[in-house]
Amino acid sequence: MQDGVVLTTLDDFLNWGRKNSLWPMTFGLACCAIEMMATGAAKYDLERFGCGAFMATPRRADLMIVAGTVTLKMASRVKTLFEQMAEPKYVISMGSCANKGGPYWQHGYHVLKGVDEVVPVDVYVPGCPPRPEALIEGVMTLQKKIANERLLRNKWVKHA
Amino acid sequence: MLNVDLNKLAEHLNNQIPGANATVHFPEDIKKCDPSLTVEASKIFQVVQFLKSHPETPFNSLHVISGVDYVEWMEVAYVLTHYSLENPRQMILKVKLTDRVNPVLDSIVKVYAAANFQEREVFDMFGIRFNNHPDLRRILCPDDWKGWPLRKDYVAQKDYNGMAVYPDGKMNFEDREFIIRQDMIKKAQEAKAH
Repeated sequence: MQDGVVLTTLDDFLNWGRKNSLWPMTFGLACCAIEMMATGAAKYDLERFGCGAFMATPRRADLMIVAGTVTLKMASRVKTLFEQMAEPKYVISMGSCANKGGPYWQHGYHVLKGVDEVVPVDVYVPGCPPRPEALIEGVMTLQKKIANERLLRNKWVKHA
Repeated sequence: MLNVDLNKLAEHLNNQIPGANATVHFPEDIKKCDPSLTVEASKIFQVVQFLKSHPETPFNSLHVISGVDYVEWMEVAYVLTHYSLENPRQMILKVKLTDRVNPVLDSIVKVYAAANFQEREVFDMFGIRFNNHPDLRRILCPDDWKGWPLRKDYVAQKDYNGMAVYPDGKMNFEDREFIIRQDMIKKAQEAKAH
Protein backbone atom coordinates (compact mmCIF):
# COMPACT_ATOMS: atom_id res chain seq x y z
CA MET A 1 0.00 0.00 0.00
CA GLN A 2 2.74 2.47 0.92
CA ASP A 3 4.49 2.12 -2.43
CA GLY A 4 1.43 3.06 -4.46
CA VAL A 5 0.47 6.31 -2.73
CA VAL A 6 1.57 9.84 -3.57
CA LEU A 7 0.35 12.64 -1.39
CA THR A 8 0.09 16.24 -2.61
CA THR A 9 -2.27 19.15 -2.38
CA LEU A 10 -4.78 19.61 -5.15
CA ASP A 11 -3.30 23.04 -5.89
CA ASP A 12 0.16 21.60 -6.35
CA PHE A 13 -1.23 18.87 -8.57
CA LEU A 14 -3.05 21.35 -10.79
CA ASN A 15 -0.04 23.65 -10.94
CA TRP A 16 2.22 20.75 -11.85
CA GLY A 17 -0.03 19.97 -14.78
CA ARG A 18 -0.38 23.58 -15.87
CA LYS A 19 3.27 24.52 -15.64
CA ASN A 20 4.40 21.52 -17.64
CA SER A 21 2.01 22.03 -20.51
CA LEU A 22 2.36 25.72 -21.28
CA TRP A 23 1.31 26.09 -24.88
CA PRO A 24 2.60 29.28 -26.46
CA MET A 25 0.94 31.04 -29.33
CA THR A 26 2.53 31.02 -32.78
CA PHE A 27 3.22 34.68 -32.86
CA GLY A 28 6.40 36.53 -33.79
CA LEU A 29 6.83 40.19 -34.54
CA ALA A 30 10.48 40.74 -35.44
CA CYS A 31 13.98 39.31 -35.13
CA CYS A 32 13.31 37.94 -31.61
CA ALA A 33 10.93 35.53 -33.30
CA ILE A 34 13.90 33.92 -35.05
CA GLU A 35 15.47 33.22 -31.65
CA MET A 36 12.12 31.94 -30.43
CA MET A 37 12.00 29.55 -33.40
CA ALA A 38 15.55 28.43 -32.61
CA THR A 39 14.46 27.82 -29.03
CA GLY A 40 11.57 25.72 -30.24
CA ALA A 41 13.72 23.77 -32.71
CA ALA A 42 15.82 20.68 -32.08
CA LYS A 43 18.96 22.17 -30.57
CA TYR A 44 17.38 24.00 -27.64
CA ASP A 45 14.12 22.04 -27.66
CA LEU A 46 11.53 23.97 -25.73
CA GLU A 47 9.44 20.81 -25.67
CA ARG A 48 11.59 19.60 -22.76
CA PHE A 49 9.62 22.07 -20.66
CA GLY A 50 6.29 21.08 -22.16
CA CYS A 51 6.32 24.41 -23.91
CA GLY A 52 7.01 23.48 -27.52
CA ALA A 53 3.49 23.04 -28.85
CA PHE A 54 3.07 26.36 -30.62
CA MET A 55 -0.64 26.83 -31.15
CA ALA A 56 -1.93 28.51 -34.26
CA THR A 57 -4.86 30.12 -32.48
CA PRO A 58 -5.04 32.21 -29.32
CA ARG A 59 -7.97 30.15 -28.03
CA ARG A 60 -5.80 27.08 -27.47
CA ALA A 61 -2.78 28.90 -26.09
CA ASP A 62 -1.82 29.59 -22.47
CA LEU A 63 1.25 31.71 -23.10
CA MET A 64 1.90 34.65 -25.36
CA ILE A 65 5.57 35.25 -26.10
CA VAL A 66 5.71 38.81 -27.43
CA ALA A 67 8.83 38.35 -29.54
CA GLY A 68 9.75 41.59 -31.23
CA THR A 69 8.96 45.24 -31.78
CA VAL A 70 5.37 46.14 -31.00
CA THR A 71 4.43 48.99 -33.30
CA LEU A 72 1.47 51.19 -32.49
CA LYS A 73 -0.31 49.71 -35.48
CA MET A 74 0.26 46.21 -34.09
CA ALA A 75 -0.46 47.06 -30.44
CA SER A 76 -4.24 46.90 -30.80
CA ARG A 77 -3.89 43.53 -32.56
CA VAL A 78 -1.67 42.21 -29.76
CA LYS A 79 -4.27 43.32 -27.25
CA THR A 80 -7.07 41.61 -29.19
CA LEU A 81 -5.06 38.37 -29.39
CA PHE A 82 -4.40 38.52 -25.66
CA GLU A 83 -8.08 39.01 -24.96
CA GLN A 84 -8.97 36.04 -27.15
CA MET A 85 -6.79 33.71 -25.07
CA ALA A 86 -8.55 31.60 -22.46
CA GLU A 87 -7.78 32.10 -18.76
CA PRO A 88 -5.39 31.43 -17.11
CA LYS A 89 -3.02 33.16 -19.49
CA TYR A 90 0.53 34.40 -19.24
CA VAL A 91 2.68 36.83 -21.19
CA ILE A 92 6.43 36.74 -21.68
CA SER A 93 7.85 39.97 -23.04
CA MET A 94 10.89 38.91 -25.05
CA GLY A 95 13.66 41.32 -25.98
CA SER A 96 14.37 45.00 -25.49
CA CYS A 97 11.72 46.22 -27.93
CA ALA A 98 8.87 44.45 -26.21
CA ASN A 99 10.24 45.36 -22.78
CA LYS A 100 10.74 49.08 -23.20
CA GLY A 101 10.82 50.07 -26.85
CA GLY A 102 14.42 49.01 -27.40
CA PRO A 103 16.37 51.04 -29.96
CA TYR A 104 13.15 52.83 -30.93
CA TRP A 105 12.83 54.22 -27.45
CA GLN A 106 13.93 57.77 -28.22
CA HIS A 107 12.89 58.52 -31.80
CA GLY A 108 10.52 55.67 -32.56
CA TYR A 109 7.35 57.58 -33.26
CA HIS A 110 5.73 54.33 -34.43
CA VAL A 111 6.75 51.98 -31.59
CA LEU A 112 4.88 51.22 -28.41
CA LYS A 113 7.23 51.85 -25.48
CA GLY A 114 6.90 48.42 -23.94
CA VAL A 115 4.17 45.87 -24.45
CA ASP A 116 3.19 46.30 -20.79
CA GLU A 117 1.34 49.43 -21.92
CA VAL A 118 -1.37 47.20 -23.43
CA VAL A 119 -1.13 43.74 -21.82
CA PRO A 120 -0.04 42.59 -18.33
CA VAL A 121 3.43 41.02 -18.51
CA ASP A 122 4.54 38.17 -16.24
CA VAL A 123 8.17 37.74 -17.23
CA TYR A 124 10.53 40.13 -18.98
CA VAL A 125 13.41 38.55 -20.92
CA PRO A 126 16.17 41.10 -21.60
CA GLY A 127 18.41 40.97 -24.64
CA CYS A 128 18.52 42.17 -28.21
CA PRO A 129 17.59 39.56 -29.20
CA PRO A 130 17.83 37.25 -26.16
CA ARG A 131 19.68 34.00 -26.68
CA PRO A 132 17.59 30.83 -26.60
CA GLU A 133 19.02 30.09 -23.15
CA ALA A 134 17.61 33.41 -21.94
CA LEU A 135 14.15 32.59 -23.26
CA ILE A 136 14.34 29.16 -21.60
CA GLU A 137 15.29 30.93 -18.37
CA GLY A 138 12.22 33.13 -18.83
CA VAL A 139 10.00 30.10 -19.36
CA MET A 140 11.45 28.44 -16.26
CA THR A 141 10.86 31.60 -14.23
CA LEU A 142 7.27 31.57 -15.41
CA GLN A 143 6.99 27.91 -14.42
CA LYS A 144 8.21 28.76 -10.93
CA LYS A 145 5.64 31.53 -10.78
CA ILE A 146 2.87 29.16 -11.83
CA ALA A 147 4.04 26.53 -9.30
CA ASN A 148 3.50 29.07 -6.50
CA GLU A 149 0.00 30.04 -7.56
CA ARG A 150 -2.91 29.00 -5.35
CA LEU A 151 -5.83 28.96 -7.75
CA LEU A 152 -8.25 26.88 -5.69
CA ARG A 153 -7.43 28.51 -2.39
CA ASN A 154 -7.84 31.97 -3.88
CA LYS A 155 -11.14 30.95 -5.38
CA TRP A 156 -12.76 29.02 -2.51
CA VAL A 157 -11.17 30.19 0.69
CA LYS A 158 -12.20 33.72 1.56
CA HIS A 159 -9.43 34.59 4.00
CA ALA A 160 -6.68 33.57 1.57
CA MET B 1 27.06 49.77 -63.03
CA LEU B 2 26.19 53.46 -63.31
CA ASN B 3 27.82 53.60 -66.72
CA VAL B 4 25.26 55.79 -68.44
CA ASP B 5 26.47 58.79 -70.40
CA LEU B 6 24.26 61.25 -68.55
CA ASN B 7 25.33 64.30 -70.57
CA LYS B 8 24.34 62.66 -73.82
CA LEU B 9 21.11 61.44 -72.27
CA ALA B 10 20.27 64.91 -70.94
CA GLU B 11 20.88 66.43 -74.37
CA HIS B 12 18.69 63.80 -75.94
CA LEU B 13 15.96 64.41 -73.37
CA ASN B 14 16.02 68.16 -73.88
CA ASN B 15 15.66 67.69 -77.63
CA GLN B 16 12.87 65.16 -77.36
CA ILE B 17 10.79 66.69 -74.57
CA PRO B 18 10.54 70.46 -74.62
CA GLY B 19 10.62 71.91 -71.12
CA ALA B 20 12.19 68.82 -69.55
CA ASN B 21 15.11 71.00 -68.49
CA ALA B 22 17.39 68.04 -67.83
CA THR B 23 20.55 68.89 -65.91
CA VAL B 24 23.34 66.58 -64.84
CA HIS B 25 24.90 66.68 -61.42
CA PHE B 26 28.40 65.23 -61.10
CA PRO B 27 29.67 64.98 -57.53
CA GLU B 28 33.14 66.19 -56.63
CA ASP B 29 33.99 62.92 -55.00
CA ILE B 30 32.58 60.00 -56.93
CA LYS B 31 33.09 57.69 -53.95
CA LYS B 32 30.69 59.64 -51.77
CA CYS B 33 27.85 60.28 -54.17
CA ASP B 34 26.60 58.99 -57.51
CA PRO B 35 25.97 61.22 -60.54
CA SER B 36 22.33 62.00 -61.17
CA LEU B 37 20.03 63.55 -63.70
CA THR B 38 17.53 66.17 -62.57
CA VAL B 39 14.44 66.95 -64.63
CA GLU B 40 11.45 69.27 -64.35
CA ALA B 41 8.78 67.90 -62.00
CA SER B 42 5.90 68.54 -64.41
CA LYS B 43 7.55 66.46 -67.16
CA ILE B 44 8.39 63.38 -65.11
CA PHE B 45 5.81 61.16 -66.79
CA GLN B 46 7.04 61.93 -70.32
CA VAL B 47 10.68 61.61 -69.23
CA VAL B 48 10.15 58.21 -67.67
CA GLN B 49 8.11 57.08 -70.67
CA PHE B 50 10.94 58.19 -72.94
CA LEU B 51 13.59 56.43 -70.84
CA LYS B 52 11.63 53.21 -70.86
CA SER B 53 11.36 53.25 -74.63
CA HIS B 54 14.91 54.50 -75.14
CA PRO B 55 16.21 53.09 -78.46
CA GLU B 56 19.68 52.10 -77.25
CA THR B 57 19.29 51.36 -73.54
CA PRO B 58 15.65 50.96 -72.57
CA PHE B 59 15.45 51.30 -68.80
CA ASN B 60 13.14 48.38 -68.39
CA SER B 61 13.11 48.20 -64.59
CA LEU B 62 12.35 50.60 -61.79
CA HIS B 63 14.37 49.77 -58.70
CA VAL B 64 13.28 52.27 -56.12
CA ILE B 65 11.56 55.59 -55.57
CA SER B 66 12.61 57.50 -52.53
CA GLY B 67 11.77 60.89 -51.14
CA VAL B 68 14.21 63.29 -49.54
CA ASP B 69 13.42 66.30 -47.42
CA TYR B 70 16.06 68.99 -47.79
CA VAL B 71 14.18 71.37 -45.47
CA GLU B 72 14.06 74.10 -48.16
CA TRP B 73 12.72 71.78 -50.83
CA MET B 74 11.65 68.18 -51.39
CA GLU B 75 13.20 65.74 -53.77
CA VAL B 76 12.06 62.46 -55.29
CA ALA B 77 14.72 60.11 -56.62
CA TYR B 78 14.09 57.26 -59.06
CA VAL B 79 16.63 54.52 -59.69
CA LEU B 80 16.11 53.08 -63.17
CA THR B 81 17.89 50.03 -64.50
CA HIS B 82 18.54 48.67 -67.94
CA TYR B 83 18.72 44.92 -67.51
CA SER B 84 20.75 43.04 -70.05
CA LEU B 85 23.48 40.47 -69.72
CA GLU B 86 25.96 42.23 -72.02
CA ASN B 87 25.53 45.79 -70.94
CA PRO B 88 23.67 46.41 -67.68
CA ARG B 89 23.11 50.07 -66.86
CA GLN B 90 21.63 52.03 -64.01
CA MET B 91 20.83 55.68 -63.52
CA ILE B 92 19.47 58.02 -60.87
CA LEU B 93 16.72 60.38 -61.91
CA LYS B 94 15.79 63.19 -59.59
CA VAL B 95 12.92 65.62 -59.36
CA LYS B 96 12.93 68.76 -57.26
CA LEU B 97 9.70 69.93 -55.65
CA THR B 98 9.81 73.51 -54.46
CA ASP B 99 6.36 73.50 -52.86
CA ARG B 100 7.10 71.94 -49.51
CA VAL B 101 3.69 72.46 -47.96
CA ASN B 102 1.65 70.60 -50.57
CA PRO B 103 3.99 68.79 -52.97
CA VAL B 104 2.33 67.20 -55.99
CA LEU B 105 3.89 65.02 -58.66
CA ASP B 106 2.63 62.92 -61.59
CA SER B 107 2.43 59.21 -60.94
CA ILE B 108 4.43 56.85 -63.17
CA VAL B 109 2.41 53.74 -62.34
CA LYS B 110 1.19 53.58 -65.95
CA VAL B 111 4.81 53.22 -67.11
CA TYR B 112 6.18 51.05 -64.31
CA ALA B 113 3.68 49.00 -62.32
CA ALA B 114 6.36 48.60 -59.63
CA ALA B 115 5.94 52.28 -58.83
CA ASN B 116 2.60 51.62 -57.17
CA PHE B 117 3.84 50.62 -53.71
CA GLN B 118 6.94 52.81 -53.94
CA GLU B 119 4.87 55.91 -54.53
CA ARG B 120 2.55 54.93 -51.74
CA GLU B 121 5.52 54.73 -49.42
CA VAL B 122 6.79 58.14 -50.49
CA PHE B 123 3.30 59.49 -49.90
CA ASP B 124 3.17 57.80 -46.51
CA MET B 125 6.50 59.15 -45.32
CA PHE B 126 6.72 62.56 -46.99
CA GLY B 127 3.17 63.52 -47.91
CA ILE B 128 4.03 63.92 -51.59
CA ARG B 129 0.81 63.37 -53.50
CA PHE B 130 0.91 61.55 -56.83
CA ASN B 131 -1.58 62.52 -59.52
CA ASN B 132 -3.33 59.66 -61.36
CA HIS B 133 -2.17 57.08 -58.83
CA PRO B 134 -4.70 54.20 -58.81
CA ASP B 135 -4.68 53.66 -55.03
CA LEU B 136 -2.94 56.38 -53.08
CA ARG B 137 -3.25 55.27 -49.45
CA ARG B 138 -0.78 54.99 -46.62
CA ILE B 139 1.18 51.77 -46.86
CA LEU B 140 3.14 51.40 -43.61
CA CYS B 141 1.58 53.74 -41.11
CA PRO B 142 -2.00 53.16 -40.01
CA ASP B 143 -4.66 54.87 -42.11
CA ASP B 144 -5.59 57.26 -39.33
CA TRP B 145 -2.01 58.36 -38.68
CA LYS B 146 -1.38 62.09 -38.55
CA GLY B 147 1.59 63.78 -40.17
CA TRP B 148 4.39 62.70 -42.47
CA PRO B 149 7.04 60.90 -40.37
CA LEU B 150 10.19 61.39 -42.45
CA ARG B 151 9.78 65.13 -42.89
CA LYS B 152 12.34 67.09 -40.93
CA ASP B 153 9.71 69.14 -39.13
CA TYR B 154 7.68 66.09 -38.10
CA VAL B 155 6.52 66.03 -34.51
CA ALA B 156 5.08 62.71 -33.41
CA GLN B 157 1.53 62.72 -32.12
CA LYS B 158 1.13 62.33 -28.37
CA ASP B 159 -1.54 59.68 -28.42
CA TYR B 160 -2.55 57.02 -30.85
CA ASN B 161 -5.77 55.06 -30.17
CA GLY B 162 -5.47 55.80 -26.46
CA MET B 163 -1.83 54.67 -26.29
CA ALA B 164 0.80 57.20 -25.31
CA VAL B 165 3.52 57.43 -27.95
CA TYR B 166 6.04 58.83 -25.48
CA PRO B 167 4.78 57.79 -22.02
CA ASP B 168 5.81 59.99 -19.11
CA GLY B 169 8.32 58.36 -16.82
CA LYS B 170 9.74 56.21 -19.59
CA MET B 171 11.37 58.89 -21.68
CA ASN B 172 14.56 60.88 -21.33
CA PHE B 173 14.69 63.74 -23.77
CA GLU B 174 17.94 65.22 -22.54
CA ASP B 175 19.85 63.66 -25.36
CA ARG B 176 22.33 65.30 -27.67
CA GLU B 177 20.87 63.76 -30.80
CA PHE B 178 17.46 65.02 -29.93
CA ILE B 179 18.71 68.59 -29.54
CA ILE B 180 20.19 68.43 -33.04
CA ARG B 181 16.84 67.37 -34.38
CA GLN B 182 15.13 70.23 -32.58
CA ASP B 183 17.42 72.60 -34.46
CA MET B 184 16.35 71.04 -37.74
CA ILE B 185 12.72 71.45 -36.80
CA LYS B 186 13.31 75.15 -36.07
CA LYS B 187 15.09 75.56 -39.39
CA ALA B 188 12.23 73.91 -41.23
CA GLN B 189 9.66 76.08 -39.49
CA GLU B 190 11.60 79.18 -40.47
CA ALA B 191 11.74 77.96 -44.06
CA LYS B 192 7.99 77.41 -43.98
CA ALA B 193 7.39 80.93 -42.66
CA HIS B 194 9.35 82.55 -45.51
